[in-house]
Amino acid sequence: MAFGNAVYNALFRRTSTFALTAVLGGVVFERWYSSWSDSMWERINRGKLWKDIAHNYEEADE
Amino acid sequence: MYVRSLVRTLQRCRSLTAGGVPAAAFRGATAAVTTTRGAHTDLPVPDFSAYRNSYADKPNEASSRGELGKRAAAYMVLGGGLAAGMVPTKDAIVGLLSTMSPSADVLAMATIEVDLSAIPEGKNVVLKWQGKPLFVRHRTAEEIDAAKNVDLSTLRDPQADDARVQRDQWMILIGVCTHLGCVPIANAGEYGGYFCPCHGSHYDTSGRIRKGPAPLNLAVPKYKFETDTSLVVG
Repeated sequence: MAFGNAVYNALFRRTSTFALTAVLGGVVFERWYSSWSDSMWERINRGKLWKDIAHNYEEADE
Repeated sequence: MYVRSLVRTLQRCRSLTAGGVPAAAFRGATAAVTTTRGAHTDLPVPDFSAYRNSYADKPNEASSRGELGKRAAAYMVLGGGLAAGMVPTKDAIVGLLSTMSPSADVLAMATIEVDLSAIPEGKNVVLKWQGKPLFVRHRTAEEIDAAKNVDLSTLRDPQADDARVQRDQWMILIGVCTHLGCVPIANAGEYGGYFCPCHGSHYDTSGRIRKGPAPLNLAVPKYKFETDTSLVVG
């Protein structure tokens, strides 16, 4: 619980730092969420994306 | 043990409702009534340890050492919800604002690139830009001199030539007469600049109104020279 106390005293005790924590947390969350959803998209569409089939066409272009 | 204390409690209640009549009078009657006060010190304190937080399991110690952590956990939920909710909120606001920005086709029409090498000296080229005629004039040395050596106090809309051109040999104008919006004719009029045939406004080689009904100089659009031969208007 010492960690919880430290977090509470450092971040959540004041409304200003709590709001700042929420905003910065939102930035971090957005980065994580978009990279996670991108990786999910690529996992679902594996084999259909250009980066998966590009090697089939590289020599024809040259 | 519980049952016995329950019985005692019941007995006490009955003795009270009986109005303090000596219990011995009823002994052997409907129920075993006694005036014996139940001493509850024999009741065990129930064990709530299964329900207590680990930091609060000692009844004789202040729970404050774990209290903040408990609050932190609650605020963590609230703060996490705020942080996660901020992302769709931001996306919604950005999406809303982006509807106000011009689309790519509008932006493509908003600017025009002019190849200056195709315009010989002394010529005025008329282009269409944002639905309006755009004059690009390659001025000769005499025209530049004439435009520079004008007493500003004699002008209806006083403006120095230097304030209207970026490079002396190139005069960029919106070809709409400031009187009633006709398109002036280049290299005509008393001042060798532009002449509006509708009501006879004369403009000089800097596009300034010199004679006739028009109140203002021809407008100069925003432009910049990408290279020496490439001009971008808009």
